[in-house]
Amino acid sequence: MEIESLADQIVSQFGRLGYDVDRDEVIKRLKLLVLEFKVPEREAVRTVRNWVIREYEIPREKVISESPLVKIEEIKKPGEWVSLKAKVVQLWDSSSPSVSQVGLVGDETGIIKFVIWAKSGKEEVEEGKSYLFKNVVTDSFQGRMQINIGRTSEIVEIDEEVQSPREIEIVGALVSIQQNSGLIHRCGSCHRVMTKGICPIHGKVRGYDDLRVKGVLDDGDNFYEIILNEDNIRDLTGIDLNKAKRIASERLDRNAVLSELKKLLLGRYYKVVGVRGGRYLLVRKVDRIGGVEGSEVDRLLEVLA
Amino acid sequence: MNFRKREVARRVFAYELNRSTYRFPKEDEKSPTYVLTPLGMRVNRVYFVGALLDKDEIKPDSGIWRIRVSDPTSAVYGYVSRFQPDALESLMEIDVPELVAIVGKIRNFEVGARIFVSLRPEYVSPVESDVRDYWVYETARQTIDRIRAMEKKEDDDCKLAWQIYNPNLNEYRQMVKQALLSLKEGFVVEGEEGEEIEFEEEFEFEEEEWDLSDILKD
Ligand SMILES: [Zn+2]
Repeated sequence: MEIESLADQIVSQFGRLGYDVDRDEVIKRLKLLVLEFKVPEREAVRTVRNWVIREYEIPREKVISESPLVKIEEIKKPGEWVSLKAKVVQLWDSSSPSVSQVGLVGDETGIIKFVIWAKSGKEEVEEGKSYLFKNVVTDSFQGRMQINIGRTSEIVEIDEEVQSPREIEIVGALVSIQQNSGLIHRCGSCHRVMTKGICPIHGKVRGYDDLRVKGVLDDGDNFYEIILNEDNIRDLTGIDLNKAKRIASERLDRNAVLSELKKLLLGRYYKVVGVRGGRYLLVRKVDRIGGVEGSEVDRLLEVLA
Repeated sequence: MNFRKREVARRVFAYELNRSTYRFPKEDEKSPTYVLTPLGMRVNRVYFVGALLDKDEIKPDSGIWRIRVSDPTSAVYGYVSRFQPDALESLMEIDVPELVAIVGKIRNFEVGARIFVSLRPEYVSPVESDVRDYWVYETARQTIDRIRAMEKKEDDDCKLAWQIYNPNLNEYRQMVKQALLSLKEGFVVEGEEGEEIEFEEEFEFEEEEWDLSDILKD
């Protein structure tokens, strides 16, 4: 984008807040950052905005009330103030006293995890209802984006129903199962997967057992990282959490569950229906593909004839 | 962060794989290896389903196993060593012949004036015949797409494939047709016998003479 129009955006943004910002100064600063220092536009704009806020002594509350309305698929970087209209898709149990609610919200472009901090003093949201989440902060953990709802955020229930994320259907072969799959321990507070009894956030805490498969579904043109939950795994293999625990105790090895799941699942074709949530495809339904219809084969033979 | 995009596992019949002798020059030491198939596809990783026919340790206690696996069009060779612990572990449990799914990297190596294509499996997993059926169907479909792209001659890799291989597309149509017909009950695949025998003889070199390091390691 032209430096001038970037500058105009900044100037008009602060103009709406009642501040008359020196356009020439903004242009000068943007030029220095973009043209001379080769800083990406996004970073340059952020830097100049921060300079304006300091220079004109603009109170923080005013600025964040300006956080732009975004779609979930646009949320890609941590540490940004945004607003979004989204539907609460799923609420998870939270046993952490510092978290009031945690779960997933979605719009037509995707799904993202949200955390409402207890300190924020917000009223509870309900599954299936749509809200305007104002002034929330984007955050990332292990490559996955989430939004944090804190004291300066606002949650407003809205009448319009936000569309559910578009589901996609993929048929592909399961070409890889990651090591942190199988019978796993999750942290009792944040539900993150623990490694050797340690939660990456809460340290050494009591965990609980869960069954999951993190894998790669590949259709020859693209690959999709998928997560299968206990229900999916039981439907496909007949192994549920109890059976998994039995396998682990019989063989005195929790990894035996992973080996067993690899044997049963790897290299087969599945049809998966789900929504994109960041880099993952969140699976709602998974079915094994059992061979091919004769009519499909005939259709290809006709193409060749 | 040390992040490299995962390579998609391509679907290629052994017939096309075995003829994929052109290797792209590497951009740098760490960049992945790609070969070009005669139908103009750049391949690093494949997902292959076929019958595991042989597994032999290339010499006693070497820990390097040569496998031969066949789809309805041809057989392709692969090498498994301790650098692929998952593949080695499952391979040891399999009695040949057995239907298997293989995910692996494709590797070219030269013996004298000839270039051989082989697989370096990341895993080998016994599978059911419905997996094979779907793989043949899917691979046929994707091969037909490649034949169409070759007809159009628009894509850069297709142009390069014409230049290097000048393939007879009818031969590939015939190959796909054979593969699809093999899914029909009671159909026996004739295969490409003359070629196969010649290939087999040349392949029976002493493996010790070859530099296997490239096909066994990343
Ligand atoms: Zn935790």
